Amino acid sequence: MTDAPEAWTLCIDFGTAFSKAAAAPNDAWVRFDPAELRPLALGAREEGGNPFLLESAVFVDDDRILFGPAAIGRAEALAPRKRTALRSFKTLLSVSDLDRALNTAAPGSIDPHRMFVMRDLVVFYLAYLLQAVDRAVAVDPDLANAPLERRYAAPAWRGGDSAGLHDVVVRLFGEADALREVVGEQLAPGKGVSLKAAPGALAAARARPRDLDMGLVFEATAAAAYTSIGLQDSAAHMIVVDIGAGTTDIAALARRGNRLEELPEARVTLKQAGDFLDRVIANRALEATPWARSQAHKTALWNALMRNMRDIKENVFLDGRAMLRFEGRTINVTLKEIERMPDFKDFVKDLTQAYDDSLAVVRATALAADRHEIQAVAVGGGAAAPFIQALIRRGSTRKVDIVARPATPDWAHARAFRGNLAPVFPQLAIAIGGALAPRDMLAVDVED
Amino acid sequence: MAAKQKPQKKPAKRRPARKRAPASLTDSLAEAAWADADLALAQALCDFDEIARAEGARARADALEMLLLSLMRAARKRGLSRLGEAGACVAFDPDLHELTGKPADKIEIVAPGVRRGDEVLVRARVRKAP
Repeated sequence: MTDAPEAWTLCIDFGTAFSKAAAAPNDAWVRFDPAELRPLALGAREEGGNPFLLESAVFVDDDRILFGPAAIGRAEALAPRKRTALRSFKTLLSVSDLDRALNTAAPGSIDPHRMFVMRDLVVFYLAYLLQAVDRAVAVDPDLANAPLERRYAAPAWRGGDSAGLHDVVVRLFGEADALREVVGEQLAPGKGVSLKAAPGALAAARARPRDLDMGLVFEATAAAAYTSIGLQDSAAHMIVVDIGAGTTDIAALARRGNRLEELPEARVTLKQAGDFLDRVIANRALEATPWARSQAHKTALWNALMRNMRDIKENVFLDGRAMLRFEGRTINVTLKEIERMPDFKDFVKDLTQAYDDSLAVVRATALAADRHEIQAVAVGGGAAAPFIQALIRRGSTRKVDIVARPATPDWAHARAFRGNLAPVFPQLAIAIGGALAPRDMLAVDVED
Repeated sequence: MAAKQKPQKKPAKRRPARKRAPASLTDSLAEAAWADADLALAQALCDFDEIARAEGARARADALEMLLLSLMRAARKRGLSRLGEAGACVAFDPDLHELTGKPADKIEIVAPGVRRGDEVLVRARVRKAP
């Protein structure tokens, strides 16, 4: 008699800029061994860059549809002709009227042939993504022949109809899976789907979508899952601050029976987030450069700042200052200057108010359950910023203790990964947390 | 996703705990971490070249500062962090501190060390506390 292969859970995370995926054994959350985690290398080695990040991009070229790095490269080459790639799938999938958004014609800058609605391009991208996931699974000896339970991570739906919108997303995945069979190798890295074949392939996929079982895990829950490893008995209440590119989301979770559920009344979304901070920093840098007088000069400087903003922001928030060379001069930006900017002060004020309101909800819920500890965690690109770290350390009272958790958990430094997981963990956190989350934590389970 | 798979109700028998992730995975993770660190190191190299050509104390100081910021970014992208704070006075710990001169119970950190997770890569350089 042979043992059945171990069952694994695979989670796909749509990021605004990149998609990620990770897998873990089904019971990993309760019997955790970091060496069993499997972040999946979705990117092709020959395309370079970080192999765990798959660019969320589709580009409609003259004769074919390109994906990922090939789409980005081609879009950059044709930018002077005002051609752009379709990006930010995550934003599209979380609008309140998803059906309408999906059936909107793609703008001319994205689809000059006027052939596709947004839905078509999303299905093509999902087919490319599923192909990349399967390629990564196939080369992993533990995953290749294992039963896989699949789920995806998404922000909590604005409209509250998680099950209804989840059905739409799973249907898109089903069509994408069917589409893969029709277009096959055209989805391979660096290739592209022929425009001539595209309408027929889409029609065939839409007529006979695959019946996929996929669960839905909210991103805040995924963050709670990886944060609460080893705290199964004590982390009954959590507050999560997720500072993304477009929005800052605050969510609170509470254990009710065996389930870890979101407290909807504690959910807050702010429109100020990473992109907003970029503009604050860039405006401060412009203020500090009175020698850039003409509009053309200012535009060139703004573009240089934005090209380097990831590094500038990291240095400002983690080292207290950043420097940029531009046309032979040095531009300095310090954290203290940023903290004095009115826009930044307004953002911190709004964020603090929103956080305190959410914390009040989870604090009341904890006390009602006779619990006296709340875990607080910040995730996303801005998680390590001092003002975010200060935020998640506030609010302890005599009755309730707030325990700030690190954005990168200690186990990400496990020697099993030879020091290489922790540096990339923030980018993979939601996919990893989504794979670790037990089924009780799902917003929509595969059998619901 | 070739076929629909019903999730199993009960977890299958587990393998013994692993000590190490598969080599292919750690290699890919290293590649990912290095992809970002490489850019920061390349930037540091350019900044160093600029130092060599800088004229005047101010320009030289700016170039040196840029070099430091680039190196700090590269270090973070490799998961390295500082160990201790320069000027801090703490109890001597031979696992964390490298003491030059006479032994002392209380020491001052002259230069922080470097760690990755719980692994000490370079011990902090210390001297007897004043």
